[in-house]
Amino acid sequence: MKQAALSRILYVEDDPDIRELVTMSLQALGRFQVAACDSCAAALELVDEFSPELLLLDVMMPDIDGPATLKVLRERVSAAAVPAIFITAKVDAGDMARYREMGVLDVIVKPFDPMTLSGQIQHIWQRDRSVANDHSG
Amino acid sequence: MITVDNEFERELARLSAAFVAQLPQQVQVLNDDLATWLSASREAELFDRLSHKVHQLKGSGSTFGCSGVSEAARVLEQRLAVLQADATSVAASDLEKIEAAMRALRGEADRTYRESLRGHQAGAQT
Repeated sequence: MKQAALSRILYVEDDPDIRELVTMSLQALGRFQVAACDSCAAALELVDEFSPELLLLDVMMPDIDGPATLKVLRERVSAAAVPAIFITAKVDAGDMARYREMGVLDVIVKPFDPMTLSGQIQHIWQRDRSVANDHSG
Repeated sequence: MITVDNEFERELARLSAAFVAQLPQQVQVLNDDLATWLSASREAELFDRLSHKVHQLKGSGSTFGCSGVSEAARVLEQRLAVLQADATSVAASDLEKIEAAMRALRGEADRTYRESLRGHQAGAQT
C-alpha cells in the first residue's frame, strides 16, 4: 500500500512506555515524522512549529484528558482543522458518539499491535481524505 | 538482509524487555502508594494518581504482551473505582478486596519478571 501524503503526527500520551513504543512504530514502520509529548501543555508548545497533519491523542491522561486536549488544540489556527484519532483502553457507544461529534476520525483501542499500528492510522487518515475529496469534488 | 521490520522487531524486543525489567519496581511503587493512602493520608490527589497509574499499567501491560499483569491491573482498577465516590469511608470488605488485588498484581509482576529472566538465561545457553 502506498504510504502517501500523511507525514506529520503530533502524539500526546502520558505513559512513557507506550509513548516510546508508538513513536518508534510510527517512525520506523510508517515513516512518519512524529512529535511526541506527555501533556496538553507540551502539545501547545509544539503544535504551531510542527504544524501536524494528524493529532493522535491518548484519552485517559491526568489533569487534561484527550478530549479536553483536542478542544484546546483546536483553538490554535495550526490545529483548528487537523483530523484527530484517539487511543484508549476502553470505548463504548456513548463515548464513540461523543468523540464523533468532536470530529474525531476514529478510536484505536488498546492493546494495539505495534506492527500494524502505522497501517491502521494510514488507513483511517486516507479514508477521511477520500470522504473529504468526495464531498469537495 | 537487514530490513526495517527486522530492526523494528529488535527494538520492540528491547522495549518489551525494559518494560518487564521494571515491572516489579513499578508495582512496588503502586503498592507503597496504596499503603500510604490506606494507612494515613487519604489524599484524593494520591488516590487519583494511584488509580491512573493502575489504569496505565492495564493498557501498557496488554500492549507489551503481559496479559496476566494487565488483567491483574484491570481487577485492581475496578476495586479502586468502588472507593472513588466515597473515599473517606471504606468498608472492610472493600479494603480486603483491594489488598488482595494488589497482592495478585505483585504476584503477576514478579512471575512475569522471573519468566523473562528464565527466557534470557535459556537464550544465553543456546
